[in-house]
Amino acid sequence: MTTRGRRSRWGAAALTLTLALAACSDDDGGEGADPTSEDGTGGETEDSTGITLVQEGSALAAIQERGSVRCGTRDALPGFAVLTPDGDHVGFDADFCRVIAAAILGDAEAVEFVDLATEARFTALQSGEIDVLVRNTTWTAGRDGSEGATFLQPTFYDGQGMMVAADSPYQTVADMDGATVCVAAGTTTEGNVASEFSRLGITPTEVLSFPEPELIQDAFIAGRCDGWSSDVSQLTGLRSEFPDGPEALRILEDVFSKEPLAPAVADGDTELAQAVEWAIFATIQAEEFGIDSTNIAEFAESEDPLIRTFLGTAEEGGTFDPGLGLPPDYAVQVITQVGNYAEIFEEHLAPLGLDRGLNTLWSEGGLLYAPPYR
Amino acid sequence: MFFQAAVLAAVAAFGLWLAGNLRANSEATNIPLSYDYLGQPARFPIAGSSFRIEQNVRSAIIVGVGNTARVAVVGIVAATLIGTLIGIARLSTNWLVSKAAKTYVELVRNVPLLVIIIFSYKALFLQLPRPQEATRIEGLLVLSVRDIAVPWSRVAEGKAPAVLGVLVVAGLAAWLVARWRRSVFDRTGQPARAGVASTAAFVVITAAGFVALGGPVDVTSPQFDEGVVSGGIRMSPEYAALLFALVLYTSSHIAEIVRGSIQAIPKGQTEAATALALAPGQRMRLVVLPQAMRIALPALTNQYLNLTKNSSLAVAISYFELTNITKLSIANRSPAVPSYGLLLVLYLALSLTIAGITNLVNRRLAVGDR
Repeated sequence: MTTRGRRSRWGAAALTLTLALAACSDDDGGEGADPTSEDGTGGETEDSTGITLVQEGSALAAIQERGSVRCGTRDALPGFAVLTPDGDHVGFDADFCRVIAAAILGDAEAVEFVDLATEARFTALQSGEIDVLVRNTTWTAGRDGSEGATFLQPTFYDGQGMMVAADSPYQTVADMDGATVCVAAGTTTEGNVASEFSRLGITPTEVLSFPEPELIQDAFIAGRCDGWSSDVSQLTGLRSEFPDGPEALRILEDVFSKEPLAPAVADGDTELAQAVEWAIFATIQAEEFGIDSTNIAEFAESEDPLIRTFLGTAEEGGTFDPGLGLPPDYAVQVITQVGNYAEIFEEHLAPLGLDRGLNTLWSEGGLLYAPPYR
Repeated sequence: MFFQAAVLAAVAAFGLWLAGNLRANSEATNIPLSYDYLGQPARFPIAGSSFRIEQNVRSAIIVGVGNTARVAVVGIVAATLIGTLIGIARLSTNWLVSKAAKTYVELVRNVPLLVIIIFSYKALFLQLPRPQEATRIEGLLVLSVRDIAVPWSRVAEGKAPAVLGVLVVAGLAAWLVARWRRSVFDRTGQPARAGVASTAAFVVITAAGFVALGGPVDVTSPQFDEGVVSGGIRMSPEYAALLFALVLYTSSHIAEIVRGSIQAIPKGQTEAATALALAPGQRMRLVVLPQAMRIALPALTNQYLNLTKNSSLAVAISYFELTNITKLSIANRSPAVPSYGLLLVLYLALSLTIAGITNLVNRRLAVGDR
């Protein structure tokens, strides 16, 4: 039994109430919970707020019983997760939610997307409102330690950069003494800007933060700010949608922070953590083997023992099961239903004009490295 | 009686149980509940202040309280003045004036405040000229999308105690003159003109004192150089937009309170004032308004509290008041539950302070003790 097991449903409901209040979330907490219906059995129970709370056993078992993965993401991050007018979640992060669902449940569409504001994301994870957070979230020591989150294999290695008007005199961040910088609220970006400026021995006039990207864009167009700082991947996305066209903006060469964007699960549940992590490794390993959604059929009869193990091909002595709580053919499900890492990247991030950069395989000088599957 | 005790016990038990659960769960998820984080470095800058990122979270929150107070105090004074004028205008016998006031009230109070704030920021203050092309009136005003600067006065270094002394003496003199004029009025019935006399006393003594000190107050006017503004006092467009929206919105509510309070004064009072041959202005100023304000004050207190709490909507436009700084600090690893707990307590303290001050005024205005 894990530490999650000690939580009573009432306790979780109370924490949800408090945190939901704190985070101005939409749900109305556990006031309607009825103590008499507490059944004390394992698995999950549904309280009146519609939030499923884990009682006994692991979150992984709860997901399997529920038949869907609740994935915390965002609906307005171009390239990473965007809610289309048809109600589909499209993007890099959204696809990794699907990778996780395909691995655990064998169905990439068995995902309940939960749109989270930046400041609500850890609260949602702590309270059990979501199973896994795949929301453009930087893995830092502080968050690992005090937000009740366990970070896993990063899906994207990013860094904070600076975007300026194409006709501005700035060539590097060091030229920006006295500049005003606009950033998105609810992140560590403001602190990074201030630290980088002081490291360079210059001071920004002001660092403004807005909760809505539209307002940053308005402020930028109006000349309120000289620089627009965010992760380079996001700047690239925002630049691609700029009203005056992407040519009106210029992203400086400087990258002044390490931003490994990683999925996270709640602290204390290693089973789910392992399952999520190996689901991500499968996309990387598949790219390394050269397996993608179009050619996977050719590998079914592969003679390579490593590939046979990876794809869970039946052997004389039975299929290999590492005991991760995932079906033996989970990699096949991930690759056929979603794709390998390269396919996901090419579909969502390449169109924004992003290069693979650090996000190439270790064998090609990048940082993507999956432990051996054996 | 028994029932009340039972309800009280149930509420207390519920509260204790919530607290216990919060504790147990925060331990299980390893989220700290203590206030140790207040001493940690903040790691974020605050626009429009000299706050440095190495300073601790406590100092950041103090900056936030200061910024909330800065917008609340100016906002309350401005909204009261404008609201009162519009409230009186609504009762004007001039058709145009009363309809214009009515239009203002109906237009503004029926729009959500957040919409007004974002509108005032996007449609007014972000439309100001770019910094290099700032509108300027030499020595009086610099107006751009980054700075709104006007002349301001600063007490010269080391002369603050002397200036304070002069002001205290002048204030005391003004009070004594006012008392003397009132007693003359009580004895003889001659027009007292207490306000004029005491203001004159204050101005004369202050001026004499400042001359004696050799100009202890420097007036600085805003200087403009290549898009950079120095001197004077600077407002950020975010502050200006928030203040503008809060005053616009709250004054529309205050106008209705003032109108209602004036209408609550019996017609006989106005008629009696007319019978005493008071001019219309005197009638309003000397007879109707003092009584109306007595009625209006409790309702005005509510508006003052609303204005203060509504300033938290500044989160939308990046003015760093208390709520925004709390959110910023949570984003930079301060624990959410204690941070929001502190936020509640600080707003409670601000509200109780405002309510306390208006209660004092209310007691002085109340009928019966004089």
